[in-house]
Amino acid sequence: MIPLLRSELRKVTTTKVLFFLTLAVAFFTALNVFLLVYLTPRAMGVENNDELLMNPDYVTNIIGAAGSSSIFVLILGIVAMTGEFRHMTITSTLLVTPRRSRVLITKGIIFLIIGAVIGLIAFATAIALATLTLSGKAHAPIDTDIALQILGGVVLGFAIYAFVGVAVGALIRNQVAAVVGALIWVLILEALLTVFVDWIGKWLPGGALDAVLQATNVSGRGGSEVLSIGAGAAVLITYAVILGALASATTMRRDIT
Amino acid sequence: MSTIGQALTVEHLSKRFGKVHAVQDLSFSVEPGRVTGFLGPNGSGKTTTLRCMLGLVRPTSGAARIGGHVYRDLDHPGMIVGAALEASGFHPGRTARGHLRVISDALGLPKSRADEVLELVGLADSAGRKAGGFSLGMRQRLSLAAALVGDPGILILDEPANGLDPEGIAWLRGLLRGLAREGKTVLVSSHVLSEVQQTVDDVVIISRGSLVQSGTLADLAGNGAIRVRVRTPRRESLVAALQASSGGNPPTSVDPTGPDELLVTGLTPSDIGRRAFLAGVELHELAQQTNDLESLFLELTATGTPGGTA
Ligand SMILES: Nc1ncnc2c1ncn2[C@@H]1O[C@H](COP(=O)(O)OP(=O)(O)OP(=O)(O)O)[C@@H](O)[C@H]1O
Ligand SMILES: [Mg+2]
Repeated sequence: MIPLLRSELRKVTTTKVLFFLTLAVAFFTALNVFLLVYLTPRAMGVENNDELLMNPDYVTNIIGAAGSSSIFVLILGIVAMTGEFRHMTITSTLLVTPRRSRVLITKGIIFLIIGAVIGLIAFATAIALATLTLSGKAHAPIDTDIALQILGGVVLGFAIYAFVGVAVGALIRNQVAAVVGALIWVLILEALLTVFVDWIGKWLPGGALDAVLQATNVSGRGGSEVLSIGAGAAVLITYAVILGALASATTMRRDIT
Repeated sequence: MSTIGQALTVEHLSKRFGKVHAVQDLSFSVEPGRVTGFLGPNGSGKTTTLRCMLGLVRPTSGAARIGGHVYRDLDHPGMIVGAALEASGFHPGRTARGHLRVISDALGLPKSRADEVLELVGLADSAGRKAGGFSLGMRQRLSLAAALVGDPGILILDEPANGLDPEGIAWLRGLLRGLAREGKTVLVSSHVLSEVQQTVDDVVIISRGSLVQSGTLADLAGNGAIRVRVRTPRRESLVAALQASSGGNPPTSVDPTGPDELLVTGLTPSDIGRRAFLAGVELHELAQQTNDLESLFLELTATGTPGGTA
């Protein structure tokens, strides 16, 4: 198992996808912090930023920017898994590990870890930039407890989301289809579904992720209710496991030609 | 470190892709210590058979075994079998060294192994270059390097000579002969017999997914029987002279191929010349025929269009 984990890790460290997507996460996190600190108060018609920045919840949301780029982590998992089929490296992977579910599990574990590390980077970016941009301004203090909750949520949420990405990629082997499909789901379909069937929202993957990330956003998901952090994580992991099991029973069994 | 090979057996293997019968009831075996050529025209099912052996393609029926086990059941398949299936299985952004380290890591081997095999296949200078920029021949060498990482006792190579320069082909020949001499099992596919003729001991020839012939290369060439074309104005006298018991061993066959021409099998040109001289028969031509395996191969496999649908 250890050699296989090392091999999976080597796959990600020998290509650029991980680097660029991590960069994207850091960049978007930074952008969100800037928007929240400089632009949103103005956009909201508040003459004086003080009002908002003095609100502890608003400050929490600034640090919560750490959870804003989860989509990149999902895409990372998808790209890593579908890349095996796209570049046909799956052949050499399966020559060493002919048990295909083992490949899926190993990759899933590695991306859990990678997702967690990216979550850590996102949090570090958010807290560092928030501290930097808020210094010299009057603002509500950054609550350490809340910051730690955000850290925990982002690390856990990103870890599971990357794992979900791997499972999605195993089920939809075409890279473009998988990435586009995931984006459409996350950005459009899930929101639509929730509009029509309100109670379903919290049980969908995006809703479950919101539950894990709930510390990052005090006002919540437009007021709609979310599960507890633990339940959200369990639901999200269940999605990954179901998708992975489905892939193992279908697409992962296909002939590699 | 050198692993001895095991036998490969293919038993009534069939594979259908929709309507295409890629492989049909194919059986043969491959022995260790020898280089076996797996030959057939385009679309005859070579790659499909090899992928079945390696657990990448699920046979419709039958099985392919490695030392008695199906690939999936092998304990450390990467240390037992090394395979190079095609030149395209690389992430274009990964360096040659990176590609091999992914494999050596999975096999639990030290990182240095990647550089060792790169050296072996002559890619040491390009170790840090991305595989996406490699030429066809370089990709072939990298595929081969990947197959050699685990120093396996069995090598399965799909058209490894494709894209190699003449020097590369000669080098590959030496490498494969050497590996077989160490006792390894070497199976090499090709669609050109002449390409592997100087490398292989055994041949397995398929056409449209079915076995045409398998055995030693010498068997294929007709047990090394020599064929000699003779022209003489006194054809009948020469036939009598060749078949006269006093001359020594009789020829395997003597076939008239023209009014003044014979094709003699089983006697050397000097044999024929000596007997003709003793019988006082005038000869106008005495020419040994090269055993043209390539045309024999074409003849054997010329059974219609590739990829038979039935
Ligand atoms: N995934 C697939 N789907 C449909 N048909 C396939 C598939 N893979 C192979 N075939 C068909 O099976 C037949 C055998 O193909 P295969 O690749 O095994 O031939 P080959 O002997 O390796 O040919 P070549 O010398 O061109 O490499 C062909 O008719 C091919 O079109
Ligand atoms: Mg082929």
